[in-house]
Amino acid sequence: MDIILAAVGDAFTWQALLAIVVGTWAGIIIGGLPGLGSVVGLTIFLPFTFGMDTITGMALLIGVYCGSVYGGSITAILINTPGTPQSAATTFDGYPMTQQGRIGEALGWATFASFFGGVLSCVILIFCAPQLAKFAVNFGSIEVFALICLAMMCIVGVSKDSIMKGLVCGMIGFFLSMVGADPITGANRFTFGSYALSSGLTLIPVVVGAFALSEIFMRFASRDDPGAKIPEAKLRFPRLGEWFKRVIELVRGSLIGSFIGALPGTGAAAAAFISYATAQKLSPRREHMGQGEPDGIIASESSNNAVTGSSFIPTLALGIPGDVVTAMMMGAMVIHGITPGVRLMVDQAQTVYALFVVLIIVNVAMLILSKPSIGLFRYLFRLHQGYVMAAIVMFSFIGAATVRGNPLDLVVAAVTGILAYALRRAGYPLAPLVIGMVLGPELESSLRRGLLIKNGDFLGFFTHSGISMALFSLLALFIVWTVWSSLTQWRQSSANARRAESDASK
Amino acid sequence: MVARLAHPRVLLALGLFLVGAVLAFHAWNGPSDAMLVPRFVLTLWCGVALAITLVEMSRVTGLGSWSLSTLLVLMAAMLIAAIAVASLGFLLPALPLVALTLWLFRLHRPLPLAVGTLAIAGGLWFLFHHVLLIRLPTLLTSGAL
Repeated sequence: MDIILAAVGDAFTWQALLAIVVGTWAGIIIGGLPGLGSVVGLTIFLPFTFGMDTITGMALLIGVYCGSVYGGSITAILINTPGTPQSAATTFDGYPMTQQGRIGEALGWATFASFFGGVLSCVILIFCAPQLAKFAVNFGSIEVFALICLAMMCIVGVSKDSIMKGLVCGMIGFFLSMVGADPITGANRFTFGSYALSSGLTLIPVVVGAFALSEIFMRFASRDDPGAKIPEAKLRFPRLGEWFKRVIELVRGSLIGSFIGALPGTGAAAAAFISYATAQKLSPRREHMGQGEPDGIIASESSNNAVTGSSFIPTLALGIPGDVVTAMMMGAMVIHGITPGVRLMVDQAQTVYALFVVLIIVNVAMLILSKPSIGLFRYLFRLHQGYVMAAIVMFSFIGAATVRGNPLDLVVAAVTGILAYALRRAGYPLAPLVIGMVLGPELESSLRRGLLIKNGDFLGFFTHSGISMALFSLLALFIVWTVWSSLTQWRQSSANARRAESDASK
Repeated sequence: MVARLAHPRVLLALGLFLVGAVLAFHAWNGPSDAMLVPRFVLTLWCGVALAITLVEMSRVTGLGSWSLSTLLVLMAAMLIAAIAVASLGFLLPALPLVALTLWLFRLHRPLPLAVGTLAIAGGLWFLFHHVLLIRLPTLLTSGAL
């Protein structure tokens, strides 16, 4: 208890609080700009922390990280362009709500769900970090494969209008993730002798092309349509009764995010899709999902922000960074004298608890700063549409060019943008493309590693462990449920058509 | 039949099928270890794309058209700028691309067009490349431009 009180004292210095405010606000703005995400934000702010003490420096970076994950949802809702890949699932219901004129409600739910997910994951982090780390270690390749298969089921959910078109987009995304060196043997795949392609394609240029650039083409095509104007952003927090009605969705999304974040290598984008897929099956309002249902925003935003807290579990407790962002955070920790690993909780418990407290303050700051940040976006989007579109083109290009300094990424973004425009015009859903690209690499590497463990016996996956058996059973249940509900829907619609026909003949 | 084949939706589905078929052929001729998953994915891609092509052919009527004339200019400009960045650096292709985007979105007055181009392309390039030191592709080896 003394340690926790001392940690609270460390976190509540004016320097740390100022760093939290600056970092969170900058993170929200950076996250909201298409193409620029957590990595760019951390890259910008990391050098500023060198002269700061440990807690202040880490507070600035944690603020940028959490703020950027939330910020991505603002443009996802306003202009159907997720600022970060983590917010791609927010577009499914966020943008339809904007089109229905429920923009304040959508932003309010995104903000509140982000806050709720972030705080709940911090509480879980404080009380259950060691236990969760131990449980996460039980997730080997086969268990992760089963989990990712479950997440892939959301392709069906987001492709309500045409499952076939959704499937083919999912395959395109999966294929794009396979270009480059094979993760197991290192052999080049689909590079066609190009050196630039051998490093593969990364997610940011594809997301930038699929959402930001294709949206510019769509808006250009409909620039004479008055309905295509960017609506005025406003924020309306859900009332107590409203959020109490959806508390189960909030808790479920946060728990999924907290758990997925604790697994190394999955990340916030995968968590958002898994949470969305679960909400599609379990939400009492699931039939409205994809048409502007707050439960969709809650599922996506509560889970991706919950990851920001729980991703520190493998990073701090095991010394395993889950993705590029946590690898950068781990690098920053080492620079500031924190050595992640199994001894950390013993050797530097006070510092670790201070970071947990900082995480909670950052989420509170995010809630408070959401209003002025959205106000800034409102001011920006009031400018002539040409300025906004040109700025989005520039941010998209900068984002794609800075991911890893490979100029090929810009070409990938432009080509993806053109292809995505054609797909959107022909009624193909783009979300499965991103889902395929986000989940594909982990699905493939876990399958291949699992096959190596089982000497090529795929059937052995199903009986590998209790966790894998439970997950595969759940997957089978999901498939049966999906087929059953599709059949019921089909029967119902054909019965309605027959009834309409007989009414017309009468 | 020919009119149906020329419909953009059918053409797109057919294009997806053909691309998938070429990639699947490449995958089936590659090393079996590395191409294990790609073979499955691309074969499924081909099957689904073929099914979509047949469905689209049965659904479409007449010769549909997408008015692309000026949009094609924007798409081509974006692609050319993206390719040119590798050899000309970031700033030089970005300036005409931003100017063209502003022009196409009906910002025709010279002063706002020039200020917008300089502020958005030049300003953001300067901010990221020189102030924040997040290096963008350069023309000169010194990195100044």
